[in-house]
Order: sequence, then C-alpha cells, then structure tokens
Amino acid sequence: MKTASFTKRISTALIATGSAALAFSVIYTSQILAFIGLGLLFWGIITRYITTEEYVKRVLLKSTSQSALQILNETLTELNYNGKAVYLPPRYQANLEASRICITKNENATLPTPEQTQKETKTITSNPEWLLLTPPGNELVQLFEKTLNTSFTKIEFNYLKQNLPKVLVEELEIAEDIKIENTDNLISINIENTAYADFYKEPPLRNNIGSPLSSAIACAIAKATGKPVTIRKDQTTPDQKTIQTEYELQQ
Amino acid sequence: MNFPLGIWDISLLLAITAIILLVTSEMLSPYYGRISIQINRKHLKNAALTTSTLFLATVAIRIISIIIGL
Repeated sequence: MKTASFTKRISTALIATGSAALAFSVIYTSQILAFIGLGLLFWGIITRYITTEEYVKRVLLKSTSQSALQILNETLTELNYNGKAVYLPPRYQANLEASRICITKNENATLPTPEQTQKETKTITSNPEWLLLTPPGNELVQLFEKTLNTSFTKIEFNYLKQNLPKVLVEELEIAEDIKIENTDNLISINIENTAYADFYKEPPLRNNIGSPLSSAIACAIAKATGKPVTIRKDQTTPDQKTIQTEYELQQ
Repeated sequence: MNFPLGIWDISLLLAITAIILLVTSEMLSPYYGRISIQINRKHLKNAALTTSTLFLATVAIRIISIIIGL
C-alpha cells in the first residue's frame, strides 16, 4: 500500500506540473512548453490508471488459509475416514453450481449414488458412512468461472483445457505457465512458478483432497466432464517451482 | 492565446507514447514470466491500444485532408 500511495503522489505531481506547463504554453505560445505539458499530463494520467491497489503479499496467502486446512486435516484424522476424496460432478448435487467432495469411511467402499447425495443435506451420514464436504478450492473455482464469465457445468472439457491457462496465467496471474495433458481417464497438469507452491511445504491434506489450487482444478474438471474426480498425485518438483498433479476420472 | 501545437505535433507525441506503451505492455506480459511487477496489465494494454488508435485516427485525418485537397 505504501508503493501505491507513493505512485499516487508522483502521478498527482506529474498531472499538476503538466497542467501548469500547458497553461503557460498557451499564455506564452510556446511549443516546447506545450510538448512538456502534454507529455507530463499524459504520463501522470497513465501512471494513475495502471497502478493497482489490489495486490497483497504472497506470504499472506498461506498464512490466512493454512489454519482452516489444518482444522480439516485434524477433523478427518479424528473421524478416521480413510476413503479417497471424490470430487462430485453436478448430477450428484442438489445445487448444480455447488462443489462437494465425498469421503467414505472405508478405503474400498463404493461411492453413493447421485440420488443419495442429492437428498443429503448433512455433512456426516451414518448409514452408509460417508462425509460430504465443501472442498478447499470451492471459492477459487467460482472465481475461475466468474473470470471466464461462464459456468463449468455448461462447458466441455476441451473448453476448460483451452481456457484454464488463460485464467491462471493471464487473468489471475497466479502461475507463469500451465501444461495440461489428458488421456481417457487421466488428466496431468503441471503448473509452473505459482504462489500456491508454498502450500506444499506443509504435509499434504489427508484423503488426497489436494492443495486449494489442485482442489479448485479438480472441482472444475468434475463440473466440465460430469464425472467424479479423484486426485491421484499432487506434489511439487524438488525445487518447488512446478506443481505436478494427476486427476483420475471415475466411471 | 492560441494553443501552440498542430495536429501533426500531437500525432508525433501520440506515436512515440503508443510505441513506448505497446512495447512495455508486451514486455510485461505474463507469458514472459514478469508477474512480480505490481501494475494493472489490463489497464496498461488498454492505454496502449487507445493511444495507438488515437495516433491512427490522426493519420486517417491527414490522409482524408490530403485526398480532399487534391
């Protein structure tokens, strides 16, 4: 914020000096003063227009959300649910735009049917035993949709494949590059130099829930493909520059 | 008390500014990995395109005036 106020002061000074120079150029009919005045005024306006106050320090990203993730991890450990987190597609939801994950009590238990999850409003059900949770990337995937001005429930996976790099790199600027490769049931995504790499310094979330970014992408894939999605691998390279994630589509 | 600059002077100023802004906006593109600079790239791109359009408008005015003068 200090930088922003400094830039504001500079732009105000440029605009004031430019306007004064322009006024004098008219009074004294001086071309040089007019050039100086127009130039200063223009750059003053540009400086004010392109500066932004929306940026916050990267370190805050992890600091603000790590506690919530830790609580989720502790709760899952306490409840002793061992199934893999499955990101449910829209047909499993009562609200099509919502994202939820299902975690079964036992590792090999079958996924509930769409009818069962649509009716279920509770987080924990006892018979059969499963958890229906809002994933850590729920808000982030909504931000992706808002940025693209679309709903992932209405698009095909190829649209997502084409536009996800645009959202992450160009629009939200949370990564420098993203590569997406897909075979029939497996989608591999490599994200380079992202602020979310900091989350991988901590032990991963239980039940393959994934980091907030991987979770958001899993939600997007589940919505776009209409298939339940699990995160098979979610790790960084040793230099912590690239996040490598593999998503598996369930039948 | 006349404004001392003609349309060609303003056109020159716009051309120089447009080039600077377009080059800067391209150099700061996230695809070149410059995502740590805290400016609003969209606004910069818009400003660059607006300045370029204004410059092209002055060129168009000049061309039309030449054609009419013939």
